[in-house]
Amino acid sequence: MSSPGPVRPGVLSIRGVSKAFGAVQALSDVSIDCRAGEIHALVGENGSGKSTLLGIASGFLAPDEGTVEIGGSRLQRHSPAAARRLGLGIAYQDYSHVLGLSVAENIYLALPADARPTYGRMQNWAEETLAAFKLDISVTAVTGSLSLAERQLLEVAKALLTRPKVLLLDEPTTALGPEEIEQFHTLVLEQAREGVGIVYVSHRLPEVLAITDRVTVLRDGVAQGTFDDASVSEEGLVALMIGRPLQVAFPERIALPKEAEVVLAVSGLRGERFGPIDLVVRKGEILGIAGAEGNGQVQFLRALAGVEHAAGSASCNGVAYDMHSPLGPLRAGVVLLSGDRRGEALFPILSVRANATVQVLGRLARWGVVGRASERSAIAELVQRLRVRMGSTEQPVQSLSGGNQQKVSLIRPFLRGDVQVILAEEPTQGVDVGSRFDIYEALRAKADEGLAAIVKSSDPLELAGLCDRVVVMSRGRIVQEIPGHELGERRIVEAIVGSRAGVKSPARDGEGAHL
Amino acid sequence: MKRGWLPLALMTTLIVALGAYSEVNQSTFLGKANLNNLLLAAMPLVLVSMGQATALLVGGFDISVAALMTLCVVTASFTMTPSTSGPALVLGALALVGVGLATGIFNTLLIRVLRLPSIVATLGTLSVLEGVSLLLRGYPQGAISTDATNALTTTVGFLPLAFVGVVVLAALADLWLYRTRSGLALRAVGLDVTSSRRLGMSTGRTVLLAFVVCSVMASFAGFFLAAEVQVGSPIIGNQALESIAAAVLGGASLAGGKGSYFGTMLAALFLTEINNVLPLFQQPTEYADMTIGVLILLALVLYQAPELIARFRAARQRLDREAAAA
Repeated sequence: MSSPGPVRPGVLSIRGVSKAFGAVQALSDVSIDCRAGEIHALVGENGSGKSTLLGIASGFLAPDEGTVEIGGSRLQRHSPAAARRLGLGIAYQDYSHVLGLSVAENIYLALPADARPTYGRMQNWAEETLAAFKLDISVTAVTGSLSLAERQLLEVAKALLTRPKVLLLDEPTTALGPEEIEQFHTLVLEQAREGVGIVYVSHRLPEVLAITDRVTVLRDGVAQGTFDDASVSEEGLVALMIGRPLQVAFPERIALPKEAEVVLAVSGLRGERFGPIDLVVRKGEILGIAGAEGNGQVQFLRALAGVEHAAGSASCNGVAYDMHSPLGPLRAGVVLLSGDRRGEALFPILSVRANATVQVLGRLARWGVVGRASERSAIAELVQRLRVRMGSTEQPVQSLSGGNQQKVSLIRPFLRGDVQVILAEEPTQGVDVGSRFDIYEALRAKADEGLAAIVKSSDPLELAGLCDRVVVMSRGRIVQEIPGHELGERRIVEAIVGSRAGVKSPARDGEGAHL
Repeated sequence: MKRGWLPLALMTTLIVALGAYSEVNQSTFLGKANLNNLLLAAMPLVLVSMGQATALLVGGFDISVAALMTLCVVTASFTMTPSTSGPALVLGALALVGVGLATGIFNTLLIRVLRLPSIVATLGTLSVLEGVSLLLRGYPQGAISTDATNALTTTVGFLPLAFVGVVVLAALADLWLYRTRSGLALRAVGLDVTSSRRLGMSTGRTVLLAFVVCSVMASFAGFFLAAEVQVGSPIIGNQALESIAAAVLGGASLAGGKGSYFGTMLAALFLTEINNVLPLFQQPTEYADMTIGVLILLALVLYQAPELIARFRAARQRLDREAAAA
């Protein structure tokens, strides 16, 4: 669709933008432009810098270097309000709704002050507005009561109400079904015809290639080039998205016996953002969970650990366990390693020793008093084995590097003798390369002892190297299962971006679901 | 303003019930003098509670109001002495408002720039202001202009004009909160700061507005406290927790985004009524504190019940829908 006619004006121009968060370089020297009437896709793996780039374009983040121009004017002050004034509209992946207010009030707030009707006319006006978008939502409903799909469509409608020159859409279809996606794309194409420039961020390549004009690929914060849709294939894009040099070794896998006994069995588990999900994990197996962020992977894992509410059932070694609180899973031997290390997994100001032994103090205590010596001897060997690098075990855990913090949280399941299943959420996020191998090795060693593990990771390379089998989640369901002999970074990324979605049908009904 | 009637109805019922009970048992309650006394005594708490409600609406707390009221009384003992008159008295009154303004801005700086939780920030301000008051007046001294205090307590029949004023103010403030754009913005910021910022609202300005309103209302409360004590007392203000209690009983949510000025006004009146009535029965005031505490707990449960039930139902329905779809 890239028209050969006169060059249309650029509505968004990002020049040489760099941004670092601490030691992590999220973006380096990225440039991208979007013209009026163009749909410009931005694709890349999880963590490739897409969200950071959108954050900078929308004024929410200030870049370390580089400039943003919206509708030909430079964004001077990095604030969302300033970007909106210049003509930028954005639909956030996690929305910008005030859930406690009504739909009408949310729409009203989304408009710039001079475009709002009088307050008294708000209700009628909101109804008319929504009707124009063919949205069947009651304007008096509290926004928090809407379904996720309704919230997503409302988010886009709100962004369009500002009559933007350029519209940023961040994963706008994660909660939508096939029909809704079609309806949504009609709307997007309509806007493009009217001259709005659209930046479309999505990991679903078929969807992206179906409606966009040009596509820019990001990898590890670096732009890999911008291409006309016509000149690029899905395979070509996948090749650009992956291809990070292999820096880490992985522990060796032992072939699992064909019919190893089932340790964890999940049936019909469903929560607000996922399900229903059926799967089994066998003795000695490490199962990977892949998918683009925000497709229910985290919620699923947390539900298994009793941290998130869900319906359905799960059993450990054949015994169903209670998932209403974290206590049931813990008693059954199901342990969650939260990805939120500072917030959930560790007590940052407590010592390495205290963090490691907190769950087994009862066992270490004598007459109700815990002896330092017995604590130290309990962890001494594990600290060595996991190669935790620190001054002493009395050091506060927050003074350790991310990787060593993660190792400390791993000591816990090792100390407990009764663990059957380890649920690891992003076990190596923010972990230095050197520590990664230690963590992989520890997990593998546990599996070899006869445990089952589920690893949720946004890094396909890690899943391919570590796991025996990987399931891919999309919109809260398992859409593909990749057996061990097929595992590879490319294979996983292809499954995530949906480029082979037609080849393997979603494993959903009963017996086809697992193995 | 869904379910906003609940606190209003509850407070009105309690005020009337307690009044009726007192009148039946001790016929002095409805006497002109007692009613006038009650309404005037309620003025400081009503005003500071309405300010507190504003801070609660944006999801904050302001503990410093108690010390600010004291500082205003102390300031009045310097700027509004019996010998000041005319324009000087007006300037002296403005000084009190100035103290309020400055405190509000100072609190906002602590909260927005230094990113301190409001409860901690205003606790710090509380100590600082208390210290300043004690520095200025080591013990209660310095009479306050009776011209000014008489003007504040002007009464027609049994009704203090000032009380009529705050009733009207409370009604107007609720209209503003629920019927205007800026009122909506205030509630939106209290409910969800991130979304509000994404929607292009200037959340910083909204928080500033709320805390300045809170402090200025506290300085108005200081006027009436000054009228009550008539002397520059450095230890008089202690209504920080009571003001939060009144705002909550009046329908404010501690999580922000919800509240009612009219409800707060009624709740402050009710809390004063409890204190007013107990002496009539020769009951010790300890009962007042206990009653207030129990009432707050009951009110919190009662006000949240509809919301909890609704949330529970919505979750159930969604799961059922999904089960049906699967």
